[in-house]
Amino acid sequence: MIFHNYLRYLAPFFLAGAGILMPASAWAGSCCGGGSSAALMVPKYAYAVADLSFDAELYDGFWNQKGSYTADPPGSDLKQYRLNLGLGYRFATDWQASLTLPYLWNDNTYSGLSTQTSGLGDLTASLWYDLLDDHSPWRVRSLQDLTPSVQLGLSLMLPTGYSPYDKVESSFDVTGRGFYRLDGNLMIEKTLHPWDLLLAASYGSYFERSVNREYGKYVEPYRKQLGDRISASASLSYSLVLDAGGDTLTPSASYAYLREDDDSFGGVSNPGSGFQKQSLGGCLTFSGTDRDWSVRASWNHAIRESGWGKNFPTTDIFTAGVRYVFR
Amino acid sequence: MCFARYAASLVLLAFLGGCGDNLIPSGEDQRPAVQVGTTGAGVGQHAPDFTVLDTEGRAVTLDSALAAKQAVVLYFTMWCPSCDVQMSQLQGVIPTFPGVGFYLVDYVSGTVADAGASALADGYTGVGFTTLADTRHALLDGFQGTMGTTVVIDATGVIRLNEDYRDGARLKAVLAALP
Repeated sequence: MIFHNYLRYLAPFFLAGAGILMPASAWAGSCCGGGSSAALMVPKYAYAVADLSFDAELYDGFWNQKGSYTADPPGSDLKQYRLNLGLGYRFATDWQASLTLPYLWNDNTYSGLSTQTSGLGDLTASLWYDLLDDHSPWRVRSLQDLTPSVQLGLSLMLPTGYSPYDKVESSFDVTGRGFYRLDGNLMIEKTLHPWDLLLAASYGSYFERSVNREYGKYVEPYRKQLGDRISASASLSYSLVLDAGGDTLTPSASYAYLREDDDSFGGVSNPGSGFQKQSLGGCLTFSGTDRDWSVRASWNHAIRESGWGKNFPTTDIFTAGVRYVFR
Repeated sequence: MCFARYAASLVLLAFLGGCGDNLIPSGEDQRPAVQVGTTGAGVGQHAPDFTVLDTEGRAVTLDSALAAKQAVVLYFTMWCPSCDVQMSQLQGVIPTFPGVGFYLVDYVSGTVADAGASALADGYTGVGFTTLADTRHALLDGFQGTMGTTVVIDATGVIRLNEDYRDGARLKAVLAALP
């Protein structure tokens, strides 16, 4: 939704931006390596991780500004595909850094218009600190065994994608938001084998910027800022050991909440421009005995009922991913 | 390992360097000079003529839209969430400017019936707008429109505004300044 205020805040923005905008469902660490889309966590025992995933996001209506579900125009078929590359590196015992970069394809068909565009999305760079470690016991023997892992992070989103303020021809070309954003992230995870619970939250603030061009047309310059963003998610997973060799299959279920406040022009708020989204997700991960390789498939579903969101498209996101941990 | 890190840093820098001007946003005014007397989509130019059907099947031309009007406002919609917010805001502007004709330009529907169905589903029928079914993209191409593009054409056929709706403040200022 990536990104899309995106996506379809600007339709293709959502078509384009939604993936970026929306937090992927939080995945329990034992399931998919942990974290939201901004998080690519390197396990304590490893020094790096590489992740490649492919999203297919299918649009089906939206919540309007009153929170009522509204269908898309007749004959429309709106999709966005994303290829996401993520790299994480643990450079000290309790510190790690990561980069995630999407490449997007927008595929929009209406009864009177059809477009296919593609381009880089917005890059996210993150820095994480391990405040507490979870020793993941099989059985609780002391209070210490209940200690969760706690990680604090900072993420900076860079406007590397094509935004409405770039040299683009229409909203269908948009693949990024065009703003820098700094997020503060908190991740709390507790594993009591075979269960794992992950809670994640983040608060982000966009940097105000100058705009002198809209969809390729130069305009009288002005200042714009997008509203602050809050996201939170919870995920519960259960690891099944498949055989004596130790391969595991981990199903998980998650809930995610996202809200972005109203944007502003020249410091004046634009009421009604913010949005909100709630979604449910499921993930199935297979990992080998040594846990170096894992593959996953997930589904994130926005509930197409009034009251579950506001001013935002309702989508289904199907993801397939593979991850490798370097020891 | 060191070499790999430096190489990765160089690749990253090269990548960021090729990302366009979003990384260093510009506030410089680069609008082209107004070409008075010519026909085109720019502010100060004469609006191109058009003939488009509304959702009732009636033909609307530039002249018929401007007839007995102080100005015409065209708002380009694709029936998306932000379009809904902006159309709602625009609806609130209508009573303040009774001498202005307000049109929603549906450039994504392929038929008049589809445009009418979208306007009805989104609640924008009978609320002060006329919805135009721009099935042949005469308006989209003629005014270089996209989602949220807002155009003001004054009674003499000259374009006074052609930009994104944003929060509507510029639109209201332009309408208030009409003779």
